[in-house]
Amino acid sequence: MDVSSALEAHQNKFKSIQVEKLVPVEFDLNLLAAFDSNAIDAQKLSSKKEEYLKGLNRDNAQLLFNEIFKLPVESTDAGLLAKLPSQTYILPREKPLPKEKPMTRWEKFAKTKGIQKHKKERMVFDEATGKYTPTWGYAGGKKDTTKDWLLEVPSNVDPMEDQYAKKREEKKERVDKNKKRQKRNEEEASATNKGMDPRQVKKKQLQEAIAVTKQSTASYGRFDKKIEGEQKMKGMKRQFAPNITDGKVEKQATLDILNKVVGKNGEVLNVTKAVRQHKKARK
Amino acid sequence: MRPLTEEETKTLFEKLAKYIGSNIKHLIDRSDETYCFRLHKDRVYYVSESIMRKAVSVGRDQLGSLGVCFGKMTKTGKFRLHITALDYLAQYAKHKMWVKPNGEMPFLYGNHVVKAHLGRVTEDTPEHQGVIVLNMSDVPLGFGVTARSTSDSRKLQPTDIVAFHQADIGEYLREEDTLF
Repeated sequence: MDVSSALEAHQNKFKSIQVEKLVPVEFDLNLLAAFDSNAIDAQKLSSKKEEYLKGLNRDNAQLLFNEIFKLPVESTDAGLLAKLPSQTYILPREKPLPKEKPMTRWEKFAKTKGIQKHKKERMVFDEATGKYTPTWGYAGGKKDTTKDWLLEVPSNVDPMEDQYAKKREEKKERVDKNKKRQKRNEEEASATNKGMDPRQVKKKQLQEAIAVTKQSTASYGRFDKKIEGEQKMKGMKRQFAPNITDGKVEKQATLDILNKVVGKNGEVLNVTKAVRQHKKARK
Repeated sequence: MRPLTEEETKTLFEKLAKYIGSNIKHLIDRSDETYCFRLHKDRVYYVSESIMRKAVSVGRDQLGSLGVCFGKMTKTGKFRLHITALDYLAQYAKHKMWVKPNGEMPFLYGNHVVKAHLGRVTEDTPEHQGVIVLNMSDVPLGFGVTARSTSDSRKLQPTDIVAFHQADIGEYLREEDTLF
């Protein structure tokens, strides 16, 4: 039995799986993507657009499937699964690059002085105890002298002074000072991020605060003693339209307002009247 | 003297709309001359543009009045209609109320309109609607607000109030000093 003709007829029903391209198509099989860099035929695109694009898509999809079927295959319970290679195409970054943080005061100072930052070891050997202790954080750092059971009283101070209280106070001052500097750094950073001069921002804030305090008396600052050379506070100035303008413009503006007002409550449906008219009509 | 702000114009129109509804547009859109609203010493004046232009040259302290005073802006930002606006209100009024000759004097002395004095009233006037009060020979006497709708007022006692007094032409004598 010769089946070659039947086979040929069957094959002719389908398009060839062999696709030829001038420039080979690039693939990223991990993303199941193909990148065709061949030039588009402008003439065909304008004359038979749909047909041409469909054909182009089919060819490229065919090439992609050809590549997928070349991959090594694993047989699992769910069926045959192809093993995808790792991704080669690099996706562009979604978000813009983060802005460079403005330098803190210390960083600026360190830069001008050429002070280098030394990396500290996380654990240091404490010779007194013979153990490794953390350089900072929990159970680390300089030992808290406020918790010592004995403190030496220096010879040049008042012997009755509480050395523990003194140490506690000093520590609190240091913490507060650092917090203040931290806050200042944050304010300056936010100002520079907005493209403003931090000094000018601070000045404006102060002036606003002064304006508020001057008004914050029972008489809204009217009877307060004035400092010599004090500038008069500028208040809000009301702005009105000029008296004489183009009459047509003013008329139109008034009519616009009228339309808003009358649309709301001028021409309301008189229900009783409507009901009466309806009844009359039915009779 | 200055033009009204948008807010002021709105409050003015909301009050006027209670009496003349959308007929306000006939006040603004006139065929004879351009008219405008101006505020001077808290009073709203309805004035032709030519007179307003002349009044511009008069100082604020010297300028007593111009055009027709429609009413005044209260210090809480509300608008109060004056009897001087009656001419225009009566002309374009949507709802009217006629009082009998024996009710004219009581109304002109500033009393409310009672049922016994009611001559006739525009059909289907709703409750709390601004109305113009006229005598039986169609002379406008003032304006007020209805206490009851037309249908409800039929059942009232003769001494019951049908319209609350707001302004009457007797004020031209009683409040001569502060009216304009």
